[in-house]
Amino acid sequence: MSIVEVKELRKQYDPPKGVLAVDGVSFGIEQGEIFSLLGPNGAGKSTTISMLSCLLKPTGGDATVAGHSVVSDPQAVKETIGVVPQDIALYPDMSARENLVFWGRMYGLSGDELKRRVDEVLELITLVDRQKDRVDKFSGGMKRRVNIGVALLHKPKVLYLDEPTVGIDPQSRRSILDGILALRDQGMTILYTTHYMAEAQELSDRIAIVDHGKMIAVGTHEELVKIVGEGARVSARVDHYLEGMAERWREVKGVEKVEIEEDEAVLLTEDPNEVLPRLFEAAATAGSRITEINVTEPNLEMVFLHLTGRALRE
Amino acid sequence: MKLAAILARKDLLETLRDKLSFVFILLMPLAFTLFFGLLFGGGGNTDKLPLAVWDADGGAAAKQLVADLDKSSVVHVVVKQGDEFETWMADERAAAGLLVPKGYSAAVASGEQADLTIVSTQGSNGAATAASAVRSLAGEQVTVELASRAAAEAIWTTRSMRSGSQETVVVQSAAEARPVVAAALARPAVSTRVVEAGAAAGQTPSGFILSSPGMLVNFILFSLMTAGIALIIERQNGTLQRLMTTRLRRWELIGGKAAGMFLLTFVQQILLMGVAQLFFGVDYLRDPVALFLMMVSLSLVASTLGLLLASVMKSEQALIATTVLVSMAVAAMSGAWFPLEITGPTFQTVGHLLPTAWILDGLRGIVVRGFDVSDVLPAFGVSVAWAAGFFVLAVWRFRLSD
Repeated sequence: MSIVEVKELRKQYDPPKGVLAVDGVSFGIEQGEIFSLLGPNGAGKSTTISMLSCLLKPTGGDATVAGHSVVSDPQAVKETIGVVPQDIALYPDMSARENLVFWGRMYGLSGDELKRRVDEVLELITLVDRQKDRVDKFSGGMKRRVNIGVALLHKPKVLYLDEPTVGIDPQSRRSILDGILALRDQGMTILYTTHYMAEAQELSDRIAIVDHGKMIAVGTHEELVKIVGEGARVSARVDHYLEGMAERWREVKGVEKVEIEEDEAVLLTEDPNEVLPRLFEAAATAGSRITEINVTEPNLEMVFLHLTGRALRE
Repeated sequence: MKLAAILARKDLLETLRDKLSFVFILLMPLAFTLFFGLLFGGGGNTDKLPLAVWDADGGAAAKQLVADLDKSSVVHVVVKQGDEFETWMADERAAAGLLVPKGYSAAVASGEQADLTIVSTQGSNGAATAASAVRSLAGEQVTVELASRAAAEAIWTTRSMRSGSQETVVVQSAAEARPVVAAALARPAVSTRVVEAGAAAGQTPSGFILSSPGMLVNFILFSLMTAGIALIIERQNGTLQRLMTTRLRRWELIGGKAAGMFLLTFVQQILLMGVAQLFFGVDYLRDPVALFLMMVSLSLVASTLGLLLASVMKSEQALIATTVLVSMAVAAMSGAWFPLEITGPTFQTVGHLLPTAWILDGLRGIVVRGFDVSDVLPAFGVSVAWAAGFFVLAVWRFRLSD
């Protein structure tokens, strides 16, 4: 049985005519898995997390976390989850340590256990040296780390992270992503929402693509890109006679399709590593020189475009 | 419950460590208490009513009367002559005025009825109290004089008796004196004529007794702004929502927030009353239990009103504007800036629709008239009823995010 089971979850604001933010979403998350909800802003990711956090009451369906229903037993659910909201939900005029101590108490910790967990989390988020500094003096990345640290204090079974890398520098983002992978390796189950395709691809064991409140695809990265049904795209420019070169490339082994798009040839292939040397060889034989060449592996952007007809903008 | 207490404690400490809050919570109210206290006559003998005395007689009896009045527990004498006396009364700087006319000492000495003029305002409680003290002391002074005269006359009449024992002479003298003393006591020893001065003279017992409770209520209401802004910021930055993902229940969240505001205003009251007690001579501790009830009343009303305003308002700017408006209007209508006694009956009635007017009555009653628990119970009841109403509305309007 999955540790998180979502069945036909639905949320409509001001029913019956209000916005339908989540429309019958169902999925399961296995113990120790990173499961991502990928979709553009307004797709219903945060609303789904809010319902799974017991902040919003579903207008339909149900979900269980570690066997507890978000509808009928929210208090038990809250004791098993840690939530990292999209906003920096901290007290800026309190120090990092004071924030952690306060939130630890809210999670029911006290005494030596509270002190030990605060020390451990400060180590984990690498802010031991700055623990007495006020949070409003921190950089965006440091605030994000404290924001995540708060949710780890009580060692939750399931961690929800709602777009935790929005608005931070690449170095801090790298640090946070590495930390999340480390948590997964320690056996924590993670539900992650993002509209960054690369993050979802790098982190996730499985990904659910959501749009307009509906789940339109779910699976591993490999399973999802197969939906597009295409291999890698190779786009190439040559110094002269593009049409003649395209004809020759059609004959190259491993090239499935060649089309001319404006001033470049676009080729589809299952194995670009094998095909690329042959393309250069064919060009040399024809007396042409390749001036530019790009390889695009099938990705989630293409999946989203394929499924919705729209681009998933980062 | 424990989580609500942790939340309340956090809110209190967070507010108290804010230097700007310190200015609003302590420094500004004290500055205004001082300002209004001096404006209303300052400190001085804050337990006694100021009595302006114009001694036009200057004789021994007049001087003795003034000295006796100054020693009394009710008034303290401010000697003013001529135009200065008139000015004091016109400016309403004394609770009442006493004019000792020429011939007063002579009348007392001759056993005649002595005339005094008390300058007052119709219906003035302070003036009536001062007038009562004057009548009592002057009457005592004239009665003693009359009794002494009667005794002396009796002794003069009986001194020609050459025979008889000492006891016989005493009995005879007493018999002679009795009708004289009875006749003297039968007529008023002193006549007082009450004339009116400017409006409302003498309602105010002292500057700080007036200003301290008023400014206390005013700035407790004003401090709602600090606590309310904190709640709105929490709603905007997501900490309220995050709190609800912990073990905290909704009722604990709302209760904790209200308790934080209650604690803040209660601590503020302790600080302001402490300073007033120690440095402004305002005796808040005449009945500690009654005082505690009034402090609880004020903090209940203020914290629930603060919670309601923060629940209804969407932005800090809206909250600041509303709080300034509400706190100023409520403070003024409750008599925080000036006693309701000097206002008309309509204003007094409207003012007493507000719980703060009742609380101010209770606080001033404690420091001026020595109110006890039974005297402040109505104010406590009114305040609890209002606070319950505010709280129900606040819970109804409370939301975690905008």
